[in-house]
Parts: sequence; C-alpha cells; structure tokens
Amino acid sequence: MAMHPMEQFEVKPLIEHPLFQIGGHDIYFTNQSLFMVIVVAVASLFFTLAMSGKRMVPSRTQSMAEVSYEFVANMIHSAAGDDGLKFFPFIFTTFVFVLFCNVFGMVPWSFTVTSQIAITFAMTAFIISMVIVVGFAKHGLGFLKLFVPEAPIYLLILLVPIEIISFFTRLVSLSVRLFANMLAGHTMLAVFAGFVVMLGAAGGILSILSVGPMLMIIAIMLLELLVAGLQAYVFAILTCIYLNEALHLHDHH
Amino acid sequence: MIDAGSMNATTEQPASHEGSGGFPPFDTSTFPSQIFWLVVTFAFLFVVMWRVAGPRMNGVITTRRNKINGDIAEAQKHRGDAEAASAAYQTALAGARARANAHAEETRKRIGSEIDKARADADAKAHEATVAAEARIQAMRTEARTSMTAAAQDAAIEIVNRLTGETVSASDAAAAVKAASGS
Repeated sequence: MAMHPMEQFEVKPLIEHPLFQIGGHDIYFTNQSLFMVIVVAVASLFFTLAMSGKRMVPSRTQSMAEVSYEFVANMIHSAAGDDGLKFFPFIFTTFVFVLFCNVFGMVPWSFTVTSQIAITFAMTAFIISMVIVVGFAKHGLGFLKLFVPEAPIYLLILLVPIEIISFFTRLVSLSVRLFANMLAGHTMLAVFAGFVVMLGAAGGILSILSVGPMLMIIAIMLLELLVAGLQAYVFAILTCIYLNEALHLHDHH
Repeated sequence: MIDAGSMNATTEQPASHEGSGGFPPFDTSTFPSQIFWLVVTFAFLFVVMWRVAGPRMNGVITTRRNKINGDIAEAQKHRGDAEAASAAYQTALAGARARANAHAEETRKRIGSEIDKARADADAKAHEATVAAEARIQAMRTEARTSMTAAAQDAAIEIVNRLTGETVSASDAAAAVKAASGS
C-alpha cells in the first residue's frame, strides 16, 4: 500500500464529534491535539520529576534539565541582556515546546505538531504581538524610533517603510522557517520510505536495490534530528533578538 | 456559518482519508482546533515551567552556585589562616634562634671571662709564689753568704792560731776575710 507523502500532515479528528464550538468553529480532539498533549505532558513530567530531587550533585536527568535551563538562560542573557531574563519562563517554554514537538515528530507514526503552519504562525503572531506590547510599554511612542534608522531625512522616506515591512516580514520568516524545515524533512523521509516499499514490492533484483533508499532514510533521520534541535534553537534565539529590540531599541550594541 | 463549518469539517474527513485532500497544512478547516489546542497545551506548559520547574531549577542552581562560592571563600580563608600560621611560626622560629644565639654568646662570654679571671688569678698566684720564692732564695743566699763569712772567719782564726799560735781577734779576721773575698 503506497502512502501519500503528505498524508502524515493531515489533521484528523480522533473523536468524531466536535467537543464544543468557539465563535462558530468546531473544536475537535485531533491526532495533532493528542501529540500536543503528549508532548506537553512528557515535557512537564520531565522537568518537574528531573528536578524533584533538588540534588546538590545532580543525577543524569536533573543534569539534563539544568543544562537546558542554563543554555536558555545564557542565550537570553547574551541576546537580550539582563532585563531579557524576565521573559525566561516564556522563552524557555517556547524552546522546550518546539524542541519536544520536533523531536517527537521523529518517532515513526507520530505527528509533527510544528509541521503545521497554523501552529508556527500562531506562535509567531503571539511573539511579535508580545514584542510590540513590550516595546510600547517600555518606551511609549519612542518605540516607533525602531523604524527610524539614523539617516538623512530624504532617505527616511524610503527607509521607514522598508523597516516597517522588514519588521512585519518576521511574522512570515519566523513561522515559515520552522514549518518548512519540519515539513520538508518529513516529506523527504516519507518519499524515500515509499521508494523502499515500491522497490521491495517489485521483487527480484529491485528488492536488493531498496537498501539504497533505506540507507538514505537513516542519513536523513540523523540530519532531521540535528534540524529538530537547530530549529528549536533558532526559533528561541530569534525570539530573544526581537525582544532585545523591543527592550533596547537600537542602542544595544 | 456554523453549519457550513461543521459540514466542511465532517465532509472533508473521508476525502482526506483517501489521500487526495490537497495540501494538508493549508486546510483552514482544521485551524480552529489546532490553535485551540496550541493555546491550551502551551499555556499549561508555560504555567508548569513558570511556577514549578523554573523556580526549582533556579533554586538548585543558585544554591549550588552559592555553596561553591561559599566553599571557595572558606577555602581561601583557611589558606590565609595557614599562611598566617606559617608566617607566625617562621617569626617564632627566627626569634627563638636569635634568643638561643644570644644565650650561647652570653654563656660563651661569661665562661671566657671566668677563664680569663681564673687565668689572671693563677698568674697572680704564680707571680706571688715566684716573688716569695725569689725572696726566700735571696734570704737563703744572704744567710749562706753570712754563714760562709762566719765560717771563713772562724777558719781564718783557727788557721792563724795553728800556724802562728797567735790569737787573732774576730774583728781582724772579719776584715781580712772581707778583704780576701773582695767585697
């Protein structure tokens, strides 16, 4: 049975009837919902149980939790300075959520939550809105200086619209980067898996040739694990950089 | 609107099961469910990180950092103490050595002066004895000379008496002896 490579990205209700409605939209409990719940449950359990010992000399799991904590704390500190640390819980949650979703997506027959543009765009929209709110809360109307670079006045006519466009382009770049990376990797895996099945089913010498795409799958799996970690990191650090602009405008050099 | 949404969602499912439903991530009928569950799960994770896991990790890391810094400070203090003790020991040692040297020097001087004094005493005593002995010798010599003169006198008187039969007076004999001895 040949599987369509895109079938893995379909969001299908697991419970046939909608749970309830919000603003006229039906809310289903879907395969994606299930994996989000699993991811969040695993992440919550991991980070609470790993730290439950509160040991001075950490166990392996406690050490992993602490390393990720310090990794994110250092990332925020270097990208957004001391006052960026107020946003630690949010950025840490974002990093952990994206990382766990990406890594869980590597498990065969699982669902990759971050391969949905709706998810990544919703997260990005929230982040950009938060940046704007923080910017206006901290600098008032002075936050608008973010869009006014130091340049002669006649150039500003050109530069200000460019700055504004580039600011809002982040909505697309941040969300599509994560979504496209996850989607492309998993599509590639499915395509090569399809080759294995097709060659295996063909019989004879072609069955032996199916080793080729099988090895490719292993290689891409390793690459995708790297991408899973990397994209979570990129997503988190870009959030820090955008927050830094809201907190310090252009003066943080 | 409500009916259209639910109709869309319910009629879409059999189509997508056959694997022909276009590009699944752009299927807008699933968006409300996706965003709803994203908000619920993300908010849950956020609260767990913010209220439970984060403070725990922060607490452990801060405690450990304080403990390590405290231990290092304490170790520094102990090292300072050890260095101070070592310096005090060296000072005490130097002082003791100086005292011992001074004591030895003093003793040496005292013994030296005692030896000098004893030597001087002995010298003085020897000198005294020498002087006394010389005096005695002188006295004995004088006495011997006197007795020799007297003996010579007697002998002269006796010789003259034997030879001439004359008796010479003691004073003449003495004068003659004196003249003969040339002194």
